[in-house]
Order: sequence, then structure tokens, then C-alpha cells
Amino acid sequence: MSQFSSDRDSAAGPMSTFMPQNIDAHPMEFTGSGGEYFRVWIVNVLLSIVTLGIYTPWARRRTAQYFYSHTLVAGSPLEFTAQQRKMVMGFVLLMLITLAYNIAANTGQDAAVGVLLLTGAVLSPLIWGSAMRFRLGATRWRGLRLQFTAHWKEVYLASWPLFALALVWFGVFFGMQILSPELADVLQEVEDEAANPKMPSFTPVMGALLLLGLVLTVLCFIRLEYNYKSLLVLKAQVGAEKGRWKPVYMDFVKVWLATVAVFVLTVVGFSVLIGVLAGSSIALFAGQSSRMGLWMILVIIVSIIAGIFMLILASAPARAYREARMFQLMWNNIGVSHVARFKCHLKSSSYVGLRIKNMLLTLLTLGLYRPFARVSEYRMKCESVTLHVKGGVEQVAGAMVRQQQGGLGDALADAAGLDLIG
Amino acid sequence: MPAPVNTDLLQGRWFDGQSSRARPVMVSLRPTPQGPSLVLHPLSQPGAEPVVFAWKDVGWPEAWNEHKPQPRVVVDLRDHGSLEIDAVSDWRAALAAAGERPGLAQRMQTRWPVLLGVTAAAVIGLTLFYRYGTPWAATQLTRFVPLGWETSVAENVLKQMDDGTLKPSKLPKERQEQLKARFDALVQQTPTTMHRYPDYRPPLSLEFRSGMGANAFALPGGKIVMTDGIVKTATDQGLPDDALVGVLAHEIGHVMYRHTTRMVVEQGVLNMGLGLALGDVSTVVSTGASVLTGLAYSRNHEREADCYAIALMNHTALPTAPMGKLLLAIAHDEEEEEENKKKEEEKAGQDKTAAPKADPGASSPERARQRKTAEEMASHPVWSLLSSHPDTVARASELEKGHAPHCTKN
Repeated sequence: MSQFSSDRDSAAGPMSTFMPQNIDAHPMEFTGSGGEYFRVWIVNVLLSIVTLGIYTPWARRRTAQYFYSHTLVAGSPLEFTAQQRKMVMGFVLLMLITLAYNIAANTGQDAAVGVLLLTGAVLSPLIWGSAMRFRLGATRWRGLRLQFTAHWKEVYLASWPLFALALVWFGVFFGMQILSPELADVLQEVEDEAANPKMPSFTPVMGALLLLGLVLTVLCFIRLEYNYKSLLVLKAQVGAEKGRWKPVYMDFVKVWLATVAVFVLTVVGFSVLIGVLAGSSIALFAGQSSRMGLWMILVIIVSIIAGIFMLILASAPARAYREARMFQLMWNNIGVSHVARFKCHLKSSSYVGLRIKNMLLTLLTLGLYRPFARVSEYRMKCESVTLHVKGGVEQVAGAMVRQQQGGLGDALADAAGLDLIG
Repeated sequence: MPAPVNTDLLQGRWFDGQSSRARPVMVSLRPTPQGPSLVLHPLSQPGAEPVVFAWKDVGWPEAWNEHKPQPRVVVDLRDHGSLEIDAVSDWRAALAAAGERPGLAQRMQTRWPVLLGVTAAAVIGLTLFYRYGTPWAATQLTRFVPLGWETSVAENVLKQMDDGTLKPSKLPKERQEQLKARFDALVQQTPTTMHRYPDYRPPLSLEFRSGMGANAFALPGGKIVMTDGIVKTATDQGLPDDALVGVLAHEIGHVMYRHTTRMVVEQGVLNMGLGLALGDVSTVVSTGASVLTGLAYSRNHEREADCYAIALMNHTALPTAPMGKLLLAIAHDEEEEEENKKKEEEKAGQDKTAAPKADPGASSPERARQRKTAEEMASHPVWSLLSSHPDTVARASELEKGHAPHCTKN
């Protein structure tokens, strides 16, 4: 048997069975292709159309299975083993909740809407926890199921920044009221849709308070991300081996600061570019405006849409940059107990370039390029990671994990925009 | 292709789910009525009995590409761990030989004709569904919506509009009473045979407001609002009150056919169905599709209300031609107004246009206030797809003739 395994391992990577303490490097591989995934994706889209969207949970499972089964970790593909039945039930439940919310919102039942939103907010850590539990529990590698072992209490304790956030804004709101009692009246008037409310004087103290609120908000969000990511890694388990986590909070803050710098740079660059372009086009229109009356409306509408579009476009490099930096931070600093370490050589600049290229192509093709984009981004991230294993990949042992988690957490996470792949 | 016999043995590595250690096994497939079953022959313990897994106890990996199989495939044995196989082509051949029936999704992604066939079916099915299915379902579902719900929605909407664009009417009391009397007479003469919802008897009432230009709209539950503008336009054009009565008959049609409620249901189906189906392509595509379809439904509702108006006016022996003239006059006025506005703007050098937006909650307001005028619409068929109302000129000429080709006799 050892003969067999060493044969296979030599095929997978440089591996030695004679010196078990040697550290072996296994670069992760992705064997899928954009064209192949395009067909998987177009089939999903078609079947979703035909079934009026009911195919969604099947589509999600097939997508996950495509990416997992083409991801080779130390030569072995990952497996996505979620039960279809559970995913369908989760999806149906989510649809019912959405329906209830829509009915309540459309018929003006403000109390019901409030209750639903508040419940959602209070339960959001629970939803995140169950999504992670589902995701890890559905992932298998060499027959071993991953596990997310965090207790609900731990998840809620890790979610403290969420509740601190609510406190911060209560504080800002009351602070504002104390500083400027007439502001409350204005807010009231705005709600009553009274025309032209008189703006109260805006003192520097109020500005400072608002700024403090904003800074605290951002810090809370970073803390929340840090808490969730570290909890996810520390409480993840493959077999009996637990995850290891090295990053500290300041690492995350640094990534965010760098992201803000990138954003400011792109906005400045964009503004200069738009300034030049808009200046010339206004001059162009000024010359012809005597006959352009009707078209002016169109031009205004187009420029508003273009403005929103530009904001999305301008923030894209920063978002891609943040994702790349976060990915590097994570995969350079986590491991599996004393058995495995990850190293990541993702280049931020090439990832940002790829994302911009993909976004433009997706826009140009009205979304048809999306599967190619998804594959190329996944490939770049996946293949940048190298797994370093001490003592061979055969040593991980663990208790059998039987339980399968329900799919509602996953469906909710999907609705909240957490992607299964990536 | 080397004809594989289903007793052929494939090499595999079995992971038992307890450890990451691979155990060498031989795998074979046996045909059964449900589908192939999998037999595992452990090699590590000589003389051990082979383990048989029935078709339903195995998570069979999907085939993604017929020509270029993936380098390694993993078979999910559920609680018994997983099985890695390197010879993927042989594995696929053995599966086919053992009578595997691939699912539709797999056939679509590995065979072009299947994909094209399903695409064609999807296009046809989708067209039929959104053209006939959704409006029909909305009509049926609306039967279960109580009148009380409609009334409360209408109250909310009217209150919002009163706080917003609408002002109290400046029409003299006598004129209001006069028109109300005509309206009540019309309601009295409405035959019950014309109704799609036989048990639906909303209390019909007429109210006057100013603002929103020359307009009239129906709220669900029976409240109909007429603006001072439309009354003034009719007077300015020297049209008889029959023109306004025709407009009211059109609005009664909206109420009786419960268009607002049907639109809520239709829009819900559209947003949810198209959002789920096309959301992964892009929001532009899914929103665009649902907006265009929604506008098509709205135009259908307008036609239905026109037919109702024609039928009701014929029944009460009133002419529909004045109403057609009124429609044209409104469209003409707005064209002029727009021109004037533009001229003023050009003079002032401003590029701000107060684009008046109708309240989305109000049931299909008689918005002749489309951005394009009737003439322009006729010459640009694309614009007519972007409009909530059918072409004004065509409508007016149908009304003048007193019958329209699309109205069914009922």
C-alpha cells in the first residue's frame, strides 16, 4: 500500500516517503477552462429561464461542483458534496421570506417590514455562521470533510462590531440633536416632504462628530471582517487538524488604508480624464444647442447614468486591489495546525488589471463574458497558492463527520451576495 | 473506441473518510434497472469481500466535457468516503456501457444539438409564458385579492400624491357636480355582463384635482381622479362633455378589469422570474427585460380599457369620437408645451428639465405625457416599445371610428 501511495504522490509533486519530516511544496492547480465553464453556465441560465428561476439551487450546486472538481490540492480534487434536497429546501424557504417581505413592503405594512428587517439584522451573525458551516461541511478533500466548529455563542461574540456600529450611530444621532435641536425639525420636515426646508447652520463640531462616526463605522467594519475571517480559519478543521491564523487587526487596517489610497488615486485620475473629455463635448454641444433641445434631455439622462457607472468603474480598481491584498494576507498567514502552511504569490497589479479587463469585457458583451471572467479570476487566485506540507499528505486523520448542514444558510448567504466560489 | 465490458476493472484510490490515507482499490460497474451500481474491490486486504454501492447511494460526478475529460475524477460514496479515479475516459466509457442515463444538464453541456434544442424551446416557452401565461395567471390570482386591500392601497397612494404633485381642484362647484352627475349616470348604465370579475362591485366615485397637466387616472377600488387640466383642454377645444365621459369610461374600464392589482402580480412575477433567470447574466439584461415586458403589459391594459370604453359608450348610445379628439388635443398641447419650454430653456441657457414623473403606484395614469410626441412615435417603432401607452394617433382613430380591431366581442 505504501508502494502504491508513493507512486501516486510522485506523480502529484515532489514527495518523499523516506524522510517524513521533509516539507513538500504542492502548488494548487485549476484544470478548468473558460470555454468549458461557459457551457456549464449557459446551461444553468437556460434551465433557470425555462423553470422561472426555480433551477437556481441546482445551478449553484453544479457551479460549485465544476470549480471544486477542477481544483487540485496536492494532486487531489476538492469535492462539493452538499445534498441537493437541502439546498432546494433552503432556496424555497428564502423565496417564501422574500415573498413575505415584498408583500409587506408593497402593501405598506411598515410594522411587518420593520420586524422582518430587525429580525434579519439580529440573525445576520447566525446566518453567516450557518453559511460557513454549510460551505465547509460540504467540502471534502481526500475523503475528509472540512468542518466549521464555532459555537453560536462564539459567532455572536465575534459579531460585536455589528452591535457597536448600531451604538455609534445612536451616539452620533443624539449628539447631533444636542448640538443642534433645529436639525431634528428639519429631518422631520424632510420626511413630510415639505418643500425647501431651511438648512440649519452646520458647525465644525457637528462635522467633527459626523467624521468621528464615519471613522468608527469603518473601523467597526474592518474589525468585523477581521473577527469573521479569523474565526473561520481558527474554527475550521480538516480531520482532527485545526486551522492556524497569524494576521493581526492592524494588518487589516493597513490593507484598508492602502485601498483608500488606491481609490483616491483612481478618482483623481478619472476626474482629470472626464474633465478633459466633458470640456470638449460641452463645447461641441454648445455650438449646436439651438437645435438640440430634445436631445439635451437625453444627454442629461445619459450623463447621470454615466456618472453612476463611472463611480462603479472608478471604485473597481480599489475593490480588486483590496481583494488581492486580502487574499495575499490570508493565504500567506494561515495553515493547518503543524501539518501545512500556505504561501501566496498573487501580484496585486496583475489581479487588478485582470479584473478591469474582465469588467470591461463583461459590460461590452452584456454579461456573456462573465463565465470567462469568473474562471480567469479564480484561476489566478487559485494557482497563486502553494501548499507546504510537513510529513506527507497521508497523515491527516480524523473522526468521521456525518452530519450534513441545512441549505438555508447558504441560500441566505447567496442572497446577501456571498459567493460560493472565490 | 475500445468496447469496454462492464466487468472491466478500473484502478482507483479509496479514501474512507477517516483519514487522508489512500487505499488502492479496483472499481467495476454493474448495470441495474435503476442505473449502474458500483463495486469496490479492496486490494489492501487480500480476500476481502467486494463492497457494492447501489445507484442511489453514490454521488455520480457530472461529465463537463466529452472531448477533454478532467485529469482526475472523484466519486462521492457519501458516508463511505470518496473514490479517486485517474482513467477518466475509461470511467466514462464504463458508465455508458453499464447503462448510465445522463441528466439533461449534462447532455446539454456535452452535446451541441441538445443545447441548441433546449435554447429554442426556452425562447419559445419564455415568449409564450410572458406573452400569455403571466397575464392569465395575474387575471386569475387577482380574483383572490380582496377589495379592502385595493381600497387601502388606493388611499395611501392618493394621500402621497396629494402631498406631492396634486393640488385641490379649482373647478367651480357647479361644474364638478355637473360632471359627477354624468359620471353617476354612466355608472348606473354599466351593464354587468361586460365584467370579467362578476362578483367585483367596487364603489365607483369621481374626484377632481389640479396639477399633473391634462390627465385622469383610476385608483384600484373604484376611485377615479380627473385633473382640471383635462377639463380645461376639452372646453378649449370646444368638445362636448361626451369626450370627458369617454375618458371616464376608459378609467372605469381600468377599475373593472382590476388593472392595478393585475399589474402588481405581473410585475412581481417579472421581477422575480427574470431576476432569478437572468440575474447571473447581468442586471442590465434582467432589468431591461422586465421593464420592456412590463410596458407591453401596460399597453395591453390600455387597449383593454379603450375597448371597455368603446363598448360602454356604444351601450349608452354616446359618441366616442370626441374622446379621440381630446386625446389628440392633449398630445398636441404637450408637444407645444415642450417646444415652448425648450425655447425658454435655450434662451436661459439652462439645461435643467423638470422631468415630471408620474407616481408609480397610481394605476396607469392617462399619461399622454410621453417624452415623444405621437408623430415622432409613429415614425420610430423602437420608441413605441418604450412607451406605457399604445400609439396615440392609432388610439384616437379607433375611438373616432368607434371600434377597434383588437377588441373581442364579449
